[in-house]
Amino acid sequence: MWSTYPNDQVLPAKFWGCSGMRHDVVVIGAGLAGLTAGIRLAQEGLDVAMFATGHGALPLAPAVVDVLGYAPDRVESPRVALPSFVAQHPEHPYACLSMGVLAASLDWFKELVTPLGYTGSLERNLLLPTALGGLRPTLLAPETMAAGDLGGGGEVLIVGIASYRDFYPKLVAQNLTASAPADGRRIVARAVEVALAGDPRDLRPQLLSRRLEEPAVRSDLARSIRAELGSEAAVGIPAVLGLERSHEVWTDLQRWLERPVFEIPTIPPSLPGQRLQSLLTQLFRSFGGRLQIGNTVLGGQGANGVLESVTVAQASREISVSAGHFLLATGGVGTGGIVVDRKGIPREAVLGLPVTLAGSPSEVNPEYFGPQPVDRIGLAVDERLRPLGDDLGHLFSNLHAAGATLAGAEPWKEKSGHGISLATGFAAAAAILEERG
Amino acid sequence: MSTEALAPFEVRSSLDHCIKCTVCESSCPVAAVTPLFPGPKTVGPQAERFRAGDHSPDLSVDYCSGCGICTRVCPQGVRIAEINSRARAEMKVERGIPMRDQILARPGYMGKAGRPVAPLFNWALANPVVRLLGERIVGVHRKAPVPLAASRSFSYWAGRRRRFLAPRRVVYFHGCSTQHFEPEVGKKVVAVLEHNGFQVLIPKQDCCGLPLQSNGIFGAARRYVERLATQLSVPGTEGLPVIASSTSCGLMLKKEALEILGVEDGHLAEISKRTYDLFEFLLELHERGELRTDFQPVPLTVAYHAPCQQQNQLIGKPALDLLRLVPALRLVEMDRLCCGIAGTYGTKREKYDIAMRVGEPLFADIKTASPDLVACDSETCRWQIAKATGVTAVHPLEVLYRAYGGS
Amino acid sequence: MALSQIETDLLVIGGGSTGAGVAWDAALRGLHVTLVDRGDLATGTTGRFHGLLHSGGRYVVKDPSSARECASENLILRRVAADCIEDTGGLFVTTPVDDPAYADRFVEGCGAADIPVEEITVGAALAREPRLNPRISRAFVVPDASIDAWKTVWACVRGATARGAKVLPYHQVMSLTMTADAVTGAYLRDARSGEQLRVRARCTVNAAGAWSRRVAELAGCEVGVVPGKGIMIAMNHRVVNTVVNRCTMPGDGDIIVPIRTVSVIGTTDIPVSDPDHIDPTREEIAEMMEAGEALVPGFSQGRALRVWAGARPLFPKTTGKQVSDTREVTRSHSVLDHEALDGVGNFLTITGGKFTTFRLMAKDALDLAARKLDLSAECTTATVPLPDSESKRFYWIGARQEEMEHEAPDDPLICECELVSRGDLQAALARRSDWQLDDLRRALRIGMGPCQGGFCAFRVAATLHRDGQYDRLAANHALGAFVEERWKGVKLISWGDQLRQTRLDQWIFQGILDVEHLPK
Ligand SMILES: Cc1cc2nc3c(=O)[nH]c(=O)nc-3n(C[C@H](O)[C@H](O)[C@H](O)COP(=O)(O)OP(=O)(O)OC[C@H]3O[C@@H](n4cnc5c(N)ncnc54)[C@H](O)[C@@H]3O)c2cc1C
Repeated sequence: MWSTYPNDQVLPAKFWGCSGMRHDVVVIGAGLAGLTAGIRLAQEGLDVAMFATGHGALPLAPAVVDVLGYAPDRVESPRVALPSFVAQHPEHPYACLSMGVLAASLDWFKELVTPLGYTGSLERNLLLPTALGGLRPTLLAPETMAAGDLGGGGEVLIVGIASYRDFYPKLVAQNLTASAPADGRRIVARAVEVALAGDPRDLRPQLLSRRLEEPAVRSDLARSIRAELGSEAAVGIPAVLGLERSHEVWTDLQRWLERPVFEIPTIPPSLPGQRLQSLLTQLFRSFGGRLQIGNTVLGGQGANGVLESVTVAQASREISVSAGHFLLATGGVGTGGIVVDRKGIPREAVLGLPVTLAGSPSEVNPEYFGPQPVDRIGLAVDERLRPLGDDLGHLFSNLHAAGATLAGAEPWKEKSGHGISLATGFAAAAAILEERG
Repeated sequence: MSTEALAPFEVRSSLDHCIKCTVCESSCPVAAVTPLFPGPKTVGPQAERFRAGDHSPDLSVDYCSGCGICTRVCPQGVRIAEINSRARAEMKVERGIPMRDQILARPGYMGKAGRPVAPLFNWALANPVVRLLGERIVGVHRKAPVPLAASRSFSYWAGRRRRFLAPRRVVYFHGCSTQHFEPEVGKKVVAVLEHNGFQVLIPKQDCCGLPLQSNGIFGAARRYVERLATQLSVPGTEGLPVIASSTSCGLMLKKEALEILGVEDGHLAEISKRTYDLFEFLLELHERGELRTDFQPVPLTVAYHAPCQQQNQLIGKPALDLLRLVPALRLVEMDRLCCGIAGTYGTKREKYDIAMRVGEPLFADIKTASPDLVACDSETCRWQIAKATGVTAVHPLEVLYRAYGGS
Repeated sequence: MALSQIETDLLVIGGGSTGAGVAWDAALRGLHVTLVDRGDLATGTTGRFHGLLHSGGRYVVKDPSSARECASENLILRRVAADCIEDTGGLFVTTPVDDPAYADRFVEGCGAADIPVEEITVGAALAREPRLNPRISRAFVVPDASIDAWKTVWACVRGATARGAKVLPYHQVMSLTMTADAVTGAYLRDARSGEQLRVRARCTVNAAGAWSRRVAELAGCEVGVVPGKGIMIAMNHRVVNTVVNRCTMPGDGDIIVPIRTVSVIGTTDIPVSDPDHIDPTREEIAEMMEAGEALVPGFSQGRALRVWAGARPLFPKTTGKQVSDTREVTRSHSVLDHEALDGVGNFLTITGGKFTTFRLMAKDALDLAARKLDLSAECTTATVPLPDSESKRFYWIGARQEEMEHEAPDDPLICECELVSRGDLQAALARRSDWQLDDLRRALRIGMGPCQGGFCAFRVAATLHRDGQYDRLAANHALGAFVEERWKGVKLISWGDQLRQTRLDQWIFQGILDVEHLPK
């Protein structure tokens, strides 16, 4: 069987860096937008490669899907509020989408992530407690959080774990009790702090969540909570109920406490976010997608309005990866999809695309929570989510963009971040599929 | 950003990009299983701001396994693992490096010492009483996986075989484990490359210094890797691809020696650009349509685990891509980050349990898949996996070799 | 309601380094002291200075008498205030943009001012500070060091309090009470409660720094102090571990001081009329970032963490002249006896000077006050160590990390950037009951690191609520107020990494915690 290779050619002088790697689609960025689009495309049988400098924001995020929470008053029903919101914000990413696409993306998502049991609908926002005890409007929540919807008021026990530094039940309970969810409704919240026996006084969430995956540890916890439990209808607890076995942990606690239990998300890291992230990456892989975390995309090469390839950094070389379509889902200023230099000039980080809605850098608002010039900067796109050049024509016919890299939103104020990423990722995938015919 | 290696001060300065976001913490396999390690952010970019002068303030950085996952997942470009490695080295220099680490850091000594008396040596390593003594006296955990010495080294074999001449040539960097413990892997690498028409040049070579580096013995590590760079660039090999079958040693050449050790050797910088992981090379050949695909069916279930150091080369999972071409082979991708061993980390008495807990999800997945073989590109990971699961663990090359009809 | 009254020997107005030094010196001499400040301690110029314990090197050519003062005070403070000092050492280097001839004058000046100086090779300088500009031509080692303003002020105050002194932060002097020919005390207003308070003092010292003109005016006296504005930028980590100075006539942006976890570049010097309005400008910031390149190539690519400005209390000894260039004003200090100058007894002003010479300033002021009070006790601050400096061990940058390593994992970190644990926080809470979040920042360094409160502000506010110091509304409010305060020093440097940080922080506050919609 062993024989000499038939072809006597000498290796090309520059063997490396000129790989013939080619995919149907290259997705840049592995946040919610990139993963959504990547999964959609891979589901349809496309060969999708995803490159990202690192993880997106999911492992930090509460994992709820916000669509529209404030506009600027609290939004009861996104379905009702969205048309006029979009009319008032023509530059908003939602303006590129129809309500039908948004609704379809939400339905698709709920079904996709069935193991996490997401619930909610465009008709009505849920009102979930924050780790400060505010009530935060959101649209979809995983099963472990859904019972925290206090829109109708109610009596709840808020449980803290003494060794966990990112959750303070007393403040949560007092703020909740002072909140007014809706006319005539009241929340009565009480706080307790319990200790996990035998643990160090500093339990980081990663460790804590895994400890709770041990049945003995969580039954201990349940016992301590039971001892404190009164007439409360539900129990709120920091969002650390396990990583891979969260369903088990959560169901056990509900069973032992004989009432609904809900997780309350807090500052990063976020276990619910990590659960969602690992499910999505698993799904992406299972549909045949290639995921490469750690690879920064350095730039691209194109001609005649077509992007042909991108340059990807490896440990000691660059390679060029070509594809039929590209999706830019690199996030906004926070994750580095858009960088702002010392003079205040913003730039799209990978391809140097023009950035729109950049107010003058000298307009910084002295009020921290006030509107800032960089709030809404990002890429302008056409109705197929293709980035526009300064002349308002699309730059490359096969380049799309989705997620926080798009201009026009103030996601953390509006409470729209994941909604935008999900819907635009979904829509960009649809556009690519359509273009491929 | 580019792919140029960073100078030591740039590695340190990369801490400026840290916005404390916790992505690294939530991906760290060690912090997830022990409170003794407060996590990569804490001992990395955070602690680095408190380091100055010659006195090290650190303790817990010793529990970093050096798997490098933190750097890979960091969305902001902080060289977390590299910062940690340097800090660990400074700490160990100050506190003194235990004899145990000195030994573990020089696998070549063990291999060389063991070879003439291989049967006896291997018996001793398998003997629980000897191992218990080893744990008490030296600090190598009695259950830790240790390799067995081969009775003939790889270079012995290579030096005595008939040479295969071809116009397309590559340099083979086989590493210590092939040399001393698993010469069979090296023989198969040569066979597969030759099968694809390559003349394989095997210059005399010694250790790349990686175990020294990961044990914080930087001075010797630098000398080792510089020596290796010279050895791998013997006249007549200029510009040839250097193929590494030990994925961690390959990464050492590609990046770690430059960024962690700060080696400025010109040879090395040049070689790093043309060093290939074995499967990276083969896959690239395939993508050019130049790889032979006269594969025969291999009716086995193989669980593939991509080791950390291979993932840190940022080349994806080329072994998986290639083995998918093999008929009848059932490949199961293990979607887990780390097996825990991290070179010599998991063999140490105080870290053995941690390493086993790190690897647990992988071991469980392997058991669920109940494969005939586990394939993994890194030798220490293979030893760890085989020991923990009882499943035979091989280099993926061995599967490819079978597909080519080898046995 | 009856006005609260305090009787005291000595009223000290101004809780900066000077005022705190006066209080310490006076308490050691056996006087009963009352120290007041309109804000928290060290929130004037002292909390905004560059952090350099001068060797004197900077002034050897331009201001030799100040240089000599700095040199001898440097030696004394190393003995009595070791815990506040990090012995970084200093380098003066001739960069390509500096006049090479200056170096010889510098060496000569050091000799004249008794400043130990040693020339080292460029190679040795680079080995010591690898990021230094490799194109420097000469390098000199001097005993510069960095000194922590807050630690120093609190050590003085703790020492004084232990000897009976009364310290009243957040108490502004609204008016001075007077007889026909002397000051007898002051009316104070508590900035937090709005309450008034009366102090009767046998003697009053105006140590209000750049504000001393205003305080003197309350007694109808004139003090010709000129506030000299200087800006500084703290870089996210130490790019150097030694104080590095350009070997040249003092100018803008020519010193980088490694202090605590950051390195601070400074500074500028322009006369201003109002020390309360000294916001840095974009142009000044750009100039400072670029100036750093001469000392450390690549400096401007680093992450700027905060920018701020301070106002030097400059006192031109040659009075009457209009001051247009504050760099020309001496850094020496003056004690003004208003009895001799303005016919107002029991009232003096101590002004000018430097942080480095605060002890000497206090001594000179007290020597005069003691004469007025018929007190014979001598100054002992040159030999009695400040609290916590008894061991004469210098502070070390790695101290917190080392301590944390021994406490973890049993004491959770609340402020991760500056390594403040829950234990540290609770210990501080036990000491005092009226903490503002921003006071805790100065006391513990909470929120001073890269994330500027993004993670810790929530933990601290909630801990204060948990432990009963704050009610719900106070906690909610404190959180917002703290980040607003932090924003002041960040808004003008919002680019690159620090802008990303701000985005993450805002996402945490607004996106996750929804702080804007907490119940009222
Ligand atoms: C940019 C800059 C950099 C510097 N760098 C250095 C350096 O590196 N090394 C060095 O040695 N020196 C340095 N200095 C000089 C040094 O900071 C000052 O000389 C010193 O801090 C002044 O201290 P002080 O106590 O006199 O004044 P301040 O610290 O300003 O104290 C005066 C206090 O008086 C209070 N006050 C004002 N009005 C009233 C009132 N009506 N009632 C109650 N209280 C009142 C204020 O709130 C203030 O706290 C620098 C100065 C500047 C501006």
